[in-house]
This record gives sequence, structure tokens and C-alpha cells, in this order.
Amino acid sequence: MIVAEQKTIDEVKTLLADARKVLVIGCGTCVTVCFAGGSREAAILACSLRMASQLEGHARDITDVTVQRQCEWEYLDQAADQIKDAEVILSLGCGVGVQAIAERFPNAWVVPGLNTKFMGLPTEQGVWAERCAACGDCVLGLTGGVCPIARCSKSLLNGPCGGSEGGHCEIDPDTPCGWQLIYDRMEKLGKLELLMDVQPPKNWQKARDGGPRKIVREDLKLHHEE
Amino acid sequence: MNSDSTLIVAFCCEHCAYAAADLAGGLRMQYPSGIRIVMLPCTGKADPLLLLRTFEEGADGIMVAG
Repeated sequence: MIVAEQKTIDEVKTLLADARKVLVIGCGTCVTVCFAGGSREAAILACSLRMASQLEGHARDITDVTVQRQCEWEYLDQAADQIKDAEVILSLGCGVGVQAIAERFPNAWVVPGLNTKFMGLPTEQGVWAERCAACGDCVLGLTGGVCPIARCSKSLLNGPCGGSEGGHCEIDPDTPCGWQLIYDRMEKLGKLELLMDVQPPKNWQKARDGGPRKIVREDLKLHHEE
Repeated sequence: MNSDSTLIVAFCCEHCAYAAADLAGGLRMQYPSGIRIVMLPCTGKADPLLLLRTFEEGADGIMVAG
């Protein structure tokens, strides 16, 4: 899932400036299950902002709505009337959701209520950890299902480095060394010999370094008859 | 602040605190009119949104009893 966390209420209030009519829009997918921007969080934030505005002596009209997925225009269209009616849209979607609103509704002023952090998973109740860096050329088949790009601080393809100490990364004793995890897993699976192959430099053009990415599936596109 | 104009909403668990309030009523015990008792099936239902909305609607205080 995409993992995000809410901005502070002070930052949100700054983003809203002096808008009188605000729509808080939640997303029912990734940010719902990481408790950052689902219907519950949207309702709580809208209520908190309403009370804050009352206390500050300039009551605002703040409502909330949640769509199944902010990253698809068809779902956003279901809230089109509310979006068009608001002075500011406070999106509790990830960065994709915010931009989907901006693209679909050219006249809407949309601001983010979340900081989008990473793609990851919950490792225990209340803890999420990064697992995928969307490098565009998956190497998990070489490393026993542990990603050296996302889980090694240096994204090394031939690790570990000298900063690995007792299974932890030198950047933080709470961060496991990605390459120690890879080594331990390969050893357990009896596949250590696979790590003897030295991996050549990765083609980072397939990652963000190559610029904005796009996938075109001709088999799925709708071709209009001429 | 006048105790009669102070609005306190008491969210009471159906299985314990609400029964206690019921008993207090049966015994004709008096309490300020500003106390409003709301029965919940369980105080686990008293989530942040319920409490925030209660304050937003004008409560001066909230009591969760269960």
C-alpha cells in the first residue's frame, strides 16, 4: 500500500488560508488502511477544523466526503458537485489523489492534507515500513524476495557495505541491514551460491532518474473507429 | 458557571454505568439538569469523532462511564 501520514493541523490551517468553504476529501483505499486519510480521518479533521475556526472567531463551512479511490477520475466524478462548490479542496489522498483532483477539476484549488511517505506494509499494529522503491526493474528474484533497493540505505546491488554492524545499518541502530536480511534468507533457503554472482550496475533510467514514467498498454486502450 | 447551564454529556455503557444511572433514577436521586445521559452499547463505541462532535454541538464536558 501507499503509506502516508497527516500534516499537522497548523500546516493544514496555513494551507487553507482564509477560505470560507472547504471540502475535506478522503480516500477509501491505501490511506484508509494506514489510518491517515479515510472517511473516519476526513470526518475527524473536518470536525477539528470547524471547531478551530469557531474558536478563532471566523467560522468556516467545512464538510467532508470520501471516495473509493482518489486516483481514478471516475470515482472523483461522484463528488464533482461538492468539489466544484468548494473554495478549497483539502485532499486526504496520497500525492496521486491530490493531482488527480487538480487534473480532473481545472478550476479547483486543491491542497494536500497528507505527506505521502512510501510504499510499504504494516509490520505490526501501528507500524508501517518501506518495502518497494518502484525502481522499475525488479531484482527481487536475485535476492530471495528482500529488496536491496528499498531496504539497503545505499540501494547496493552487491552488499553489504562496511556500515553493516551486527545486522543493523550504520544510519540507525533500529534499521536492519537490508543485505544482512538478504544473506540470512538466502542461507536459510540454501541458495547462498546465487549471491556469488556480481550484479552489474543497475539501469536507473527505469527508475525516477529517467524522468516521469508512463505505461501504455495498446491491448487495453480504447481505439475509436475513424 | 451555573451548574444547571453547564452541559455535560455522559456516555454510559448499556451493561453497567447506564444501569447504574437507571437505578439512581429509580431511587429518585437528584443530579443537575445539565447532565445528559446517552446509552452506548459499549464505551468502546466512544470514538474520537463522537467525542469531537459532542463538543462541537456545544457540550462543556464529556463523561465516559463503563
